[in-house]
Amino acid sequence: MKLNERSVAHYATCDSPPDKTGFLFKKGERNTAYHRRWFVLKGNMLFYFEERDAREPVGVIVLEGCTVELCESAEEFAFAVKFDCAKARVYKMAAESQAAMESWVKALSRASFDYMRLVVKELERQLEEIQGAGAGGLQGRPKSSRSNQVARSRSGASTSSLSSSSSSSSSSSSAPPTAGPSPAQKGLQDEVQLPSDSSKENGVAWSKPPAAWSNGSADGASCVAWEACTDPGNNHGARAPPVPPRRRGASLESPVSPGTGCFSKLHDWYGREVEELRTQWLQSQ
Amino acid sequence: MRFNEKEMVSLSRQPSEMAAELGMRGPKKGDVVKKRLVKLVVNFLFYFRTDEEEPIGALLLEQCRVEREDTQVFSIVFLDEAERKYLFECNSEEQCGEWVDSIIKASYEFMRKNLIFYRTEIHRLTGKDPLEQYGISDETRFQVNNGLQLMPRDTSSL
Repeated sequence: MKLNERSVAHYATCDSPPDKTGFLFKKGERNTAYHRRWFVLKGNMLFYFEERDAREPVGVIVLEGCTVELCESAEEFAFAVKFDCAKARVYKMAAESQAAMESWVKALSRASFDYMRLVVKELERQLEEIQGAGAGGLQGRPKSSRSNQVARSRSGASTSSLSSSSSSSSSSSSAPPTAGPSPAQKGLQDEVQLPSDSSKENGVAWSKPPAAWSNGSADGASCVAWEACTDPGNNHGARAPPVPPRRRGASLESPVSPGTGCFSKLHDWYGREVEELRTQWLQSQ
Repeated sequence: MRFNEKEMVSLSRQPSEMAAELGMRGPKKGDVVKKRLVKLVVNFLFYFRTDEEEPIGALLLEQCRVEREDTQVFSIVFLDEAERKYLFECNSEEQCGEWVDSIIKASYEFMRKNLIFYRTEIHRLTGKDPLEQYGISDETRFQVNNGLQLMPRDTSSL
């Protein structure tokens, strides 16, 4: 099967921030010795290099759909990356310390695109809930409660300097990075110029930060944006990222199933898995 | 560069966001348009010969740019070799727009930016970090200042 290898290798070494890097021992496929390699985790791609300053990766492990487990090994601090497909290879690795092992296991088990998507969906939902609660107009609450909401938020560490006037609602538009304008956000467009050409760069498609980022002195314009975005139904329809696909064969609710709807539950499982691994390791000492 | 091909083939068989028969042209001079089943799964674009089970190939959709070339045609270029364009011919203007949108959203980097946006917003509105309850607030990839370049806002009008 072909892969755009040159560009994938470029992704490994380009200046996009890695999620984790470090030395690990990796068991060879045919040569069963463990080889020390420099690993770079970016998103759901685990690259490995012969040396830390090597210009090109030796290889990459696509982590989508994998599980990470402790494994029985003469090697200390060993763990394995496994896949749920026929004749899948098991990647045996070993870290250089207990802490490193735990840290890698945690990072790798959460590296999937699906996991990231779940987290984003969950936060999106939370934000909508918060904004729904704050939008006085929609739920018949008096305007003052919205101002209270805003006032309360000021006590938290906030990067934007909010004006003290309660009539100025510098609460955000609900516009997250999107590929294109949506009807509910037309009010925001007057303030934020979305690109008129249709070229969008992956990873930099979010071309204009919403007003909330850098705008400390929002006034009427922000208010308009706020009003325009208080229709959660419409917004949701315009913005909701696609639902993660259900894996065939995986049960609906399981630690590894991206079909698991309840984010907290899924997260609990992840947390518990790590705890269990930890206990196992400690007991084996 | 080695990669776990078996696992990728298995991934290509997962239910996908978008799958359709499109005309696909490779980036090399002399490449012609061929009918392919194109399938978007997480941040990969797989392409198959129609009715074949194993994909011919996959494109990792990170560090790339999607552009609308025509009413029904879009292209993908990778930032490290921007002269090489992969072209995709759709069956309608609407379909073309859907693909462009979906591919833009199909990168890990794009999701990361979304997440940081939501996290910051929620924190701003509530004073609480929404990631804290999940114990992932310290992870490098969720940090605002994790080497990401926030686009500066044009403040010349202020």
